[in-house]
Amino acid sequence: MIFQDPFVGRRAHHQCANCFDERLVPVLDRSRLVSMVGRPLDGHDNSCSDVGLLVSWPVTEFDALCANDAELGQLRTSIREFLTADRDKFGWQPAVDCWLAKWDPDFSARLAEAGFVGLTIPAEYGGRGLGYLHRYVVTEELLANGAPVAAHWIADRQVAPALLAYGSEEQRRRLLPRIATGQLYSAIGMSEHAAGSDLAAAQARATRTDGGWVLNGTKVWTSGAHVAHQIVVLARTSPLDPEHRHAGFSQFIVQTSAPGITISPILLMNGEHHFNEVLFEDVFIPDEDVLGQIGDGWHQVTAELGFERSGPERILSTAILIFSAIRALGDVDDGVAADVGDLVARMISLRQLSISVARTLTDGRDAASRAALVKDLGTRFEQDSVELVADLLDYVEEQGPLRALLATARVHSPLFTLRGGTNEVLRGVVAKGMRI
Amino acid sequence: MNELAQLVDDLCSRSTGNELWRNLEDTGLARLTSGQGAGPTEAAIVLSGLARHAAAVPIAETDLLAAWLADEAGLPVPSTGQLTVAIADATEVDGRLSGSARDVPWPSSTVVLAARRADALHVGLVDAVSDGPLTFDVAVGELRTVDVALADELTRRGAWARCNQIVGALDAACEMTIAHTAERVQFGRQLNKFQAVQHSLAAMAGEIERARAATALAVAAATDYGFGHPATDYAVTVAKVAVGRAVDPVTTIAHQLHGAIGVTAEHRLWRATMPARGWVDEFGTTASYARRLGRMALAADDPWDVVVSYPAPR
Repeated sequence: MIFQDPFVGRRAHHQCANCFDERLVPVLDRSRLVSMVGRPLDGHDNSCSDVGLLVSWPVTEFDALCANDAELGQLRTSIREFLTADRDKFGWQPAVDCWLAKWDPDFSARLAEAGFVGLTIPAEYGGRGLGYLHRYVVTEELLANGAPVAAHWIADRQVAPALLAYGSEEQRRRLLPRIATGQLYSAIGMSEHAAGSDLAAAQARATRTDGGWVLNGTKVWTSGAHVAHQIVVLARTSPLDPEHRHAGFSQFIVQTSAPGITISPILLMNGEHHFNEVLFEDVFIPDEDVLGQIGDGWHQVTAELGFERSGPERILSTAILIFSAIRALGDVDDGVAADVGDLVARMISLRQLSISVARTLTDGRDAASRAALVKDLGTRFEQDSVELVADLLDYVEEQGPLRALLATARVHSPLFTLRGGTNEVLRGVVAKGMRI
Repeated sequence: MNELAQLVDDLCSRSTGNELWRNLEDTGLARLTSGQGAGPTEAAIVLSGLARHAAAVPIAETDLLAAWLADEAGLPVPSTGQLTVAIADATEVDGRLSGSARDVPWPSSTVVLAARRADALHVGLVDAVSDGPLTFDVAVGELRTVDVALADELTRRGAWARCNQIVGALDAACEMTIAHTAERVQFGRQLNKFQAVQHSLAAMAGEIERARAATALAVAAATDYGFGHPATDYAVTVAKVAVGRAVDPVTTIAHQLHGAIGVTAEHRLWRATMPARGWVDEFGTTASYARRLGRMALAADDPWDVVVSYPAPR
């Protein structure tokens, strides 16, 4: 084993017949099974007391590894049905890199209305109170179908978990229900002109004032800031200490309507507008919009990176291009079939690695190195897939729709291995995890 | 599970060759699935563990292939000693089956012949062979006839075993490379302090972890459903491609980072890299499995279904 080995073993399904909440628990870990009995499950107001109805029976490890066991499989079916019906009715076109590029507030609202946003947000804050693997299944189905998810994406994927981990009770009650309805749009302000891979070089600075903080600085590559309600900004609240570069950062929830904010577009090379430069000039932030602890910002932004780095969005950004091409292929020779098989095998094995990391993280164990691996391997796969599909076009008769997807993919492709930390930095993380 | 892995480690550090084989028989590990009632999960741990130690013993051939097939055909085989299988396409002329099996792994004292025809598989015991193809010409009545589906399962079992063995061998290559780049000093620095070297190490780890994840699915499928099930067919097909495509980059990086010492007979690196490279081609090439998987994806209503799980109806 190169890294710490994840738990590998048989699992049992555990179901409470009263509340229909199911959990996967390791069969071997009796103490954990016992500790679950009588404990309120996330998203349930009442403690589940009907111990006599608790039963456990085996589910196959195979189905669990495919994130397709009974409950997840059911969820997968329902999101697929929603997507098919919604697309038929509203006519959106499946898109490459939809989680950055396709901003559709109406879709986000409909998706939330159907119960597919805020899955991991507890019921008391308006969410579904389900587990990370439930969200995993919904997310991958959205991406595999190229659905227009960008509007609610960052709020649901990053801001909600951060609020649950570090937010005040008041912030949770104020923001989480709006996130769960798919109607709160958030951006994240981290990178700066002189702080890209080296995020600790960030210079945006907040200073103390009566009842709050005053923010000054400039953030760049801020996706969706021009259409978002708020930006979660990482800023220095203490001067740089060269010995402890990661100390002295804090996070703030800043309204885009606040006086002193100027948002300017940074256009993608084909003219698409997703990124922005955001200038903060003496922007006042009330104390109630400090996220977490002053001085704890670095820890807060890095602690949850595992989920983000290893998620399906690191594998499936080009999925709709790949699947469209495979569907469009007619009779092909063995060589082309093998090319398709190689492409699909890479995707399946990456998904297996990604799910394995997700299960490790869900069990509360560390998987930082393997999460970084998923992002490195997954995003390189996304990039490679673009040109592999281009080669398959020789065998496709009706090329028009594929050509359009391919053109977008070629513009977005350089981003895959940059966003969320460059692959060069990630490989350093992986190497350090190898105990060198 | 960890105890089993530990046992394999202990036996391999104490013994090699014939002595190791005797120890494996004494502890029951030599016939885990055919004699001890253990399942694929346990077999996978033993196979990858032995490969990680470069242990030259035909456990897969004896237990998963020969003993299993003989049992299916109702043929008694010795309960101790090494067994192997010879797989060949056969032709029938005047009640006699003939053919030639190339690449018989571990030619040893007891060979179970699997002579395949379009509609049936014929199984029998034949005499030991030395290196080279095993040719046969026997009366049909001397062999037992079984369902031809068992021929596919035999190949699948072999491919499954090789995936587990390759992951073990690649782990060994990676461990040696990590150790070497930590010890070796050039330009006044350990090799692993160079960023280019770190990136190669990370690339190596990535290929191995991906191969391991695909293999874990194949192990789960075999454990949950057995080797004859379409889910296992799917998972082994995926694993054989994923593992097969990992071998070249991992062994190439292992040798590159070892420098010239790694290509010498005296260094033990080849005992991990060469078996891995050899196993890739056995029980079907990587390309043949890629073609199969490609055909599955092309035939599916939605290729995404093939990515999520095996697409056959339950």
